[in-house]
Amino acid sequence: MIQPRRPLIELRQLRRYFGETRAVDDVSFEVHSGEVFGYIGPNGAGKTTSMRILATLDEPTSGDALVDGFSVVEDPDRVRTRLGFMPDYFGTYRNVNVRDYLDFFARSYGLHGRRRLRAIDYVMRFTLLDQLADKPIDGLSKGMKGRLCLGRTMIHDPAVMVLDEPAAGLDPRARIELREMIAQLAANGKAILISSHILTELAEICNKIAILEKGRLLTVGSIAEISAQAEIVCQVHLSLLTGTDRLQRWLENCDGVRDVSVVDTHFSLTHEGGPNEQALLLRQIVEAGFEVVEFSSKTKSLEDIFLHVTEGRVQ
Amino acid sequence: MSPTDPRTGTRDSVSQSYLTASLLALWLTWRKIERQLERIADRANPILVKETRQALKSRQFISTFLLILAACWIASLGGMAIIGPQIYYAAAGSEMLLAYYAILAFPLTIIVPYSAYRSLATEQEENTYELLSITALSPSQIVNGKLGSAMVQMLIYLSAVSPCIAFTLLLRGVEPLTVAVLLLHTVLGSMGLSMLAILAGAVSRVNYSQILVSVGLVLILTWTFGLAMASAATFVYEGYSTLRERSFWIANLAVLTFYFTTFALAYTAATARLSFASANRSTPLRWAMLIQQACFLGWMAALASAEGGASILATVFASGFILGIYWYLMGTLLTGEWPHLSQRVQRTLPQSTLGRMLFTWFNPGAGTGYLFSVANLTAVVAAGLIVLFSIKPSAAARWPVFNESAAYFLVIGWGYVVAFLGLGRLLINITRRFTYLPLAGCFLLHLVLLMMASGLPLAARLMVSRRQFSSTGSVLEITNPFLTLEPYTSSSAAPTNAPLTTIMVLTAALVVLLLNLRSVVRELQHHRIALPERVVEEEAALHPPQIPAPSNPWEHQ
Repeated sequence: MIQPRRPLIELRQLRRYFGETRAVDDVSFEVHSGEVFGYIGPNGAGKTTSMRILATLDEPTSGDALVDGFSVVEDPDRVRTRLGFMPDYFGTYRNVNVRDYLDFFARSYGLHGRRRLRAIDYVMRFTLLDQLADKPIDGLSKGMKGRLCLGRTMIHDPAVMVLDEPAAGLDPRARIELREMIAQLAANGKAILISSHILTELAEICNKIAILEKGRLLTVGSIAEISAQAEIVCQVHLSLLTGTDRLQRWLENCDGVRDVSVVDTHFSLTHEGGPNEQALLLRQIVEAGFEVVEFSSKTKSLEDIFLHVTEGRVQ
Repeated sequence: MSPTDPRTGTRDSVSQSYLTASLLALWLTWRKIERQLERIADRANPILVKETRQALKSRQFISTFLLILAACWIASLGGMAIIGPQIYYAAAGSEMLLAYYAILAFPLTIIVPYSAYRSLATEQEENTYELLSITALSPSQIVNGKLGSAMVQMLIYLSAVSPCIAFTLLLRGVEPLTVAVLLLHTVLGSMGLSMLAILAGAVSRVNYSQILVSVGLVLILTWTFGLAMASAATFVYEGYSTLRERSFWIANLAVLTFYFTTFALAYTAATARLSFASANRSTPLRWAMLIQQACFLGWMAALASAEGGASILATVFASGFILGIYWYLMGTLLTGEWPHLSQRVQRTLPQSTLGRMLFTWFNPGAGTGYLFSVANLTAVVAAGLIVLFSIKPSAAARWPVFNESAAYFLVIGWGYVVAFLGLGRLLINITRRFTYLPLAGCFLLHLVLLMMASGLPLAARLMVSRRQFSSTGSVLEITNPFLTLEPYTSSSAAPTNAPLTTIMVLTAALVVLLLNLRSVVRELQHHRIALPERVVEEEAALHPPQIPAPSNPWEHQ
């Protein structure tokens, strides 16, 4: 039923205005099967609003969002069967235990008989909640509630999962477990859109990221691609076998190189340009007859990219 | 003397094998029943299942249930102690029944409906409603679940009190039919109140409105409890004679018709309120309104034909008056709808010429809503006028005069509704160009318009010397429908200025109608659009075309 070529999530010039405030302003991107797509931005950037639109909880002012080819505005019923949404709140009931809670949502997604029982068992095993099946939800810790909410999100085996700040408030162990679960879900072919403020973790699991600020999409692509776009100035380290003084003089006359410092045979310098320019520099050094034994540049972390791309403005 | 049968062994072994077979059959039957029950439970409404489980664990439910049981015990013991030995011959059943009824009516008229309201309100407060709304559950399933849960609670309370009520039948002074009718009315009343409470829960989504609705609901439920007790007291003491009157059953049927049509209206309204914005929220509501009007007119026609004579006029008056108010109120809501028609709705619009002619006015939209209200009221007024002019003058020769007054009342009333709804709609259109105006705001705008039109001339008259104006019904106060229409109801003869008033009101109504016509026509021009490619693709995958089975052996080749 799901064609691999069709993106499972597609935002088309999505806009959502609240009066004068442009919560989401002309955002477009695609997420395919098996991808984990990180959605990054400062508070108030429009991440939750666009996720809520995808989850059919809100309507766009203009533009559209498609899930497996179905419009969230015109065919919300078909979208809901394909999408699992984990909001940034738990949404739990009183006087309900873990199994009954999952049972309720399994029934609500139209699962019956053995199929429902299998889905509940699978989800409880997957989220490691099988030991707590009869425990009331009110008595669960925050981490356990987080797992339960992830379980609720995946109970109907949706092709698309939208997770809004799933790691917020979790301890390191719970975060690692969540990360593993997400990676496993993506490996099972699901398209996952995830927002988080813990950028180091997103960097580890995301194939692609989108950075939003003030409702506008600043950049979208893989971390390497965005990193390449962002790395205009970077630190380069290189070591030589011999000819240290000659290289220092050579480098000082080289375009785009500054702040050259030498310790024994190790050089440290600031270079203007991305990976292409660095490769060119290395080639020029080798062609000039220097015996290079090490050439490395410090890759920017997702946090560096985020700080570079965004301006820290809020609306 | 041994009972041995040479072919089958002893009689004991025969009876033992019969017993085993019977037990096996019983066990198999029980298993079958159990499997059926499991299947039913598996397919039961998820909300009903969840809320029943929650209720069985909640302190509020358990304490209410225990309190009811305790109250029943106290009433039984106290009642018997008060009545004493007379219990064997005195007609004490009525008093005991009323005591038990009070114990039952309290949860059924207050606790169950209020719990139904809180159930939906809590979902919204604790953000679980959002999670619920994005599941595969339809809005009607959500309403059914909440209503079903209320009914389960109702049945549990009823089962707690029913042994005591059954006990009153052993006493003198109560007959089973009275008890049955009383309980049926109470259960239906509780269901109706629960439905209204669910509607209130669906309508109030923000905190301040929830507080207002909550207070209002408690007041209404308390008042209903008082009303139920008063009615029950009258009915229990006079039930024997009342139940033997034909008019009682006819009135019951009429009330039931009103009850079921209003229930359907509240149900569709609650479902519409919970639907996604692009869904068609309006068409089912309009069907419910139309059916309610048809039922009302049916009963009025039956009443008029049964009673005949002067009651025909009274019926026409009552029908015109009630339906005038009804369509004005419904019109204030219908004209507040958004004129934009989502693509989802456009996919389901009537396609054929006949379908478009007959059903376009059911399409969502403020313009079609205005047209729908006006057209329905026009039909009612036209029918009323036909009836009035078809009544033959009586020997007393006062019919034609009175008919004229009634006819004026209907026509002028129609004019007011058309004019006020149309003006309100124009104001809504203008306001929406500048700011967002929700449905409740549209309703208020209509009311403010009516109040201003009625109140301003009255205030002006009160401020200036009264001698400068004629008495009520002056043309200067023509914007006040209440004052203008009042003389037509209180007197058999139409006022002298009736033709002038009619011309003025009808002219205003027609002008307003024409002003609205452009946008109404624009809404009527919507056509059905094709399904999106992706939807067609999925439908084809879900429902592949049936390959006809071969009808003869050669078709295989």
